[in-house]
Amino acid sequence: MLRAVIGIALAAALVALPHGLSFSQQEILVFLTINVLLVASYRLLTLTGEWSLGHVVIMGVGAYASALFTKQLGLFVPLSMLLGALTAAAVAWALSFPLFRMKGFYFLIGSFAAGEIIRLLWKRFRDPFGGPKGLKGIDPMPDFSIGFYDFDFFEPVSYYYFAGTVVAVCLWIMWRIEHSPVGLTFHAVHWQDKLAQASGIDVRAYRTRAFVIASGFAGLAGALLAHYIGTINPNSFDVEVMVFVLTWAIVGGTATFYGPILGCVMLTVLNEIVLRELGFEQMRPLIYGAVMILSILFLPKGLESVVERLVGPRRARA
Amino acid sequence: MSPILEVDGLTMRFGGLTAVDGLSFSVAEGVIHGLIGPNGAGKTTTFNAISGFYRPSGGEIRLRGQVISGQPMHEVARRGLVRTFQHSTLFAELTVLENAVVGTHMVHRPNLLAAVTGSDRAARAEARERARAALDFFGLAGQENERAGDLAHGHQRALGMAVAYAAGPQIVLLDEPFTGMNPEETRAMMVLMEKLRDSGVTILIVEHDMHAIMGLCERITCMSFGKLLAEGAPREIREHPDVIEAYLGGTHHAA
Amino acid sequence: MTELLAQTGLNALYAASYISLVAVGLVLIFGVMGVVNFAHGELFMAGAYAIVALYADIGVPFLAAVAAGLVFVGGLGLLMERALFRPLRDNPLGGLVASIGFLMILQALAVMGFGVRMEHIPPPTQDVIVLSEKVRLPVSRLVVIVSAVLLLSALWYFLKRTRFGWALRASAQDPEAAALQGISINQTARIAMFIGAALAGVAGALTAPLVSVNPHMGHSVIVTAFIVIIVGGVGSLEGAVVASVLYAFVHTIVTTFYDGVVADIVGLSLLLGVLVVRPTGLFGTADRA
Repeated sequence: MLRAVIGIALAAALVALPHGLSFSQQEILVFLTINVLLVASYRLLTLTGEWSLGHVVIMGVGAYASALFTKQLGLFVPLSMLLGALTAAAVAWALSFPLFRMKGFYFLIGSFAAGEIIRLLWKRFRDPFGGPKGLKGIDPMPDFSIGFYDFDFFEPVSYYYFAGTVVAVCLWIMWRIEHSPVGLTFHAVHWQDKLAQASGIDVRAYRTRAFVIASGFAGLAGALLAHYIGTINPNSFDVEVMVFVLTWAIVGGTATFYGPILGCVMLTVLNEIVLRELGFEQMRPLIYGAVMILSILFLPKGLESVVERLVGPRRARA
Repeated sequence: MSPILEVDGLTMRFGGLTAVDGLSFSVAEGVIHGLIGPNGAGKTTTFNAISGFYRPSGGEIRLRGQVISGQPMHEVARRGLVRTFQHSTLFAELTVLENAVVGTHMVHRPNLLAAVTGSDRAARAEARERARAALDFFGLAGQENERAGDLAHGHQRALGMAVAYAAGPQIVLLDEPFTGMNPEETRAMMVLMEKLRDSGVTILIVEHDMHAIMGLCERITCMSFGKLLAEGAPREIREHPDVIEAYLGGTHHAA
Repeated sequence: MTELLAQTGLNALYAASYISLVAVGLVLIFGVMGVVNFAHGELFMAGAYAIVALYADIGVPFLAAVAAGLVFVGGLGLLMERALFRPLRDNPLGGLVASIGFLMILQALAVMGFGVRMEHIPPPTQDVIVLSEKVRLPVSRLVVIVSAVLLLSALWYFLKRTRFGWALRASAQDPEAAALQGISINQTARIAMFIGAALAGVAGALTAPLVSVNPHMGHSVIVTAFIVIIVGGVGSLEGAVVASVLYAFVHTIVTTFYDGVVADIVGLSLLLGVLVVRPTGLFGTADRA
């Protein structure tokens, strides 16, 4: 009962939120919504214990694929977004063959190399990827109406509602997966892969499964981004963006579902709203870097550990 | 009775070192079988080769006549041979019940789509029931919501066996299950093993301390320097001159 | 054709020189501290800006400026050791994240101090050694090659022939055993960080007049260094040097006959290939990751 009330209040607050913001803040809110999906999918990937540095490039695969599906084939935008997500998942599946021969640090570097290769291919091949300048004039989401609300996608608020709904559904699916026997198996693979194997679990298959699903959601995030900003290039998905994702996850903490989302929201608010308003334009990366260092030094288990201490012990899974 | 597990000419080489050299023995169904030997005899290597952790350099391992050597560990497990690990290898961060539920993986294979739609509710309930039954079997019924890493040492060992039992194995391999246990815990563990055997599961125990398992095993295989030394009933093994020599001779300390 | 190959070989030798300085430092830090220093490219960048500030802006003699850059970046290494890696010794992922934070700070400081534009520094000498009509070696490149050989030889002597070097290698192999032998972990960590960082700094300082200096120049440097240390085998200093030479030749040749992007793709594919076939690298035996 209490949870239902909190849920409804939260939903209402999220619906009302953009109306108290300036236009540029509304745009940031759209990016934030997309990034929440990205970072939540990243946590799904890390559930089996492997940390990838190629996740943002996989997001880019979804963005490029969706943009090209509309540009070249003239597909309906929502359909091409879904196909973009599937493409990202398929690319991840292909990459899993070399990458899951590695573990730990080697996986980290291997995923980084694989991602950089994809980015260089975008740069090298002007046709169809547009080379270093990338793709421009990507079709926007077509306007539509659901009776009581007209979606006009020149307005960030409309796109926020659209992306927010998509992201909410995705989060719900990811939450269901984690709190299911499949999710329990992911955790088992992470904590003791040998014992998991002895229980008949095909460890590599489960690592691949987490990687592919997470990549699909990241690809969808990329597609949502591409059709909002209308232009993407190889540098939109470079390692600096990956560093941001990594930071959100670590500052927020990865032990809980909401930890990375919390990290993403808090750091985005700090970075885009507080520091921008205070006029620290050039100093923002400096303060951001300092926040990263301070949080890893003094809050190694992330912001979520503070919340957990306030709320009490966590409930059991499965 | 036909053997459930046959080891046939097993050889394991690491670089220039031959750890196991043409070892052959078989385990009859429904017994507790011991594999013993002094330090460095190659017991643990043999154990790892049987469970699929290592790929043998030579020879064959058969489970009910089916070749399992060379298969990865999860495939071996799926055919009914489940191993435990030395010490307290558990999913320490998960609860006791969750540990046992992971053990039911082969019986109730998780399904991704059903997990999202929620149509696997019945399967989940069955998996939990099965896991609870396994915990009950090993006397852990009251502790299912504790974190596995927080359990007492003896209970962690019991949980390790419960996880294996939840998988519904035909034969269980136990890796030095008495190491680090006090006499009381050892006795309790022996009772559990006999109970497990009586439920129809064949058991193969690898143990360094031969006295510990003399009273427990129906049959014992003793190896030394990677080769079969003697095989027989506990009394025969205890009195076998080669076994006495292997355990007392050289620099090996008497166990 | 032979002349083209000879010229390409000289270019590769120059590239191998500064790459191996960076990579050897990275391996040393990873070996002793067990942490992947993502800020290593920015230490290189800091060395280059030391030349901008001292040599280009206020006219300190080039080699004196290089020496100052070495000490300055080595000092940054000591700062990182004390402030980041020592408190995070039991948390390798934390160390990695902290080094990324430090990287952002260094980049931001460079932007604030010098702006984002490229700095072109006049080389200390315009002399060119003409070996034949088409084979030329600018003296400023020769300086980089000679310096790298001297510094790496000195490092080799230090590691193999001195007591500190012995302590360093011991704690790289087995920190706990080394601690039992009375080797101070903090001491070896300080030495490793100073040397590792200083080598990156000196590489940046020496090459500053030959490349365009900008706050983001560290990125390609760290990517190259990763390729080299993986191919050479993580933890192997000799492997890092051999792999640097190998990589520099492959990259330079592919750049000459195709283009730079293809060369980058080839380099990264080499890295992936080594990881798939032999994850411990061509020379590595260490398995500390």
